[in-house]
Amino acid sequence: MARAAHPEAMAPSKPGRTRTAPPQMPPKFPMQGRYRAYTIFDATGLVYLLMGFGVLHAVRALGDGAAAWQAVLAGWANPVYVAFHLLALASVLFVGVRFFRLFPKAQPPRIGPARPPPGPVIHGMLYAVWIGVSVVFVAILAGGIFR
Amino acid sequence: MKQLLLKLEPVVWLLFGQGILIGTILLTGWILVVNLGVPLGIVPADALAYGRAHALASNPIGRLVLLALIALPLWKGAHHLRSLSIDFGGAGRDTAVAGVLYGIAALGSLLGVFAVLGL
Repeated sequence: MARAAHPEAMAPSKPGRTRTAPPQMPPKFPMQGRYRAYTIFDATGLVYLLMGFGVLHAVRALGDGAAAWQAVLAGWANPVYVAFHLLALASVLFVGVRFFRLFPKAQPPRIGPARPPPGPVIHGMLYAVWIGVSVVFVAILAGGIFR
Repeated sequence: MKQLLLKLEPVVWLLFGQGILIGTILLTGWILVVNLGVPLGIVPADALAYGRAHALASNPIGRLVLLALIALPLWKGAHHLRSLSIDFGGAGRDTAVAGVLYGIAALGSLLGVFAVLGL
């Protein structure tokens, strides 16, 4: 999808005398090559936004009493909600895998006197925290602990 | 408005980054149990019976986790949708789009604060 990009996308802070070609969007943007994952990563924003409001809806129902809370849980058995929540689960897993892969590359080379651990160690720690917190959270919510 | 957005950028980026990191970590368990497990009958319904769910949610740690589950995904979503809008040719209307999206995230976060305090 080659097309003109915003004309000021690559503009220098001060106008120079050097003439430059107008910026173009990459030909493979938005859904080919490496741009596919980039675009999907951004598009998960809509799912996250809706999930935030979904949790808000559930918490408000919990505050409104037992009937409202049970109605929310019963409503989520609707196939439309099930499909959306499966999409949300896929989005969350996609975002986690992609972000955790990028995270070690975004670390500064040095923090004061200390160097950050090697990339694979940071990567492993992130996955350990993600899996560990998820297992504990699932166990609490599903009644495995704190009954 | 543009100046305000530039001033708020560090705060927005903090909430956006935590939305990806903490939001993703917390949403995984929430979706598995609350959105899918109980409604589909995979998890016994009494696990999230009203009394137990309210007791879990209304203690200080529960309120904090729920507020994180509401606010952080909203900011992650708002910032990524703004980015998507710019990439799809919306740089000229970015100030308005950002104002609307961050406004939605801020309003949702505020409602989230009231919701968890009201438990």
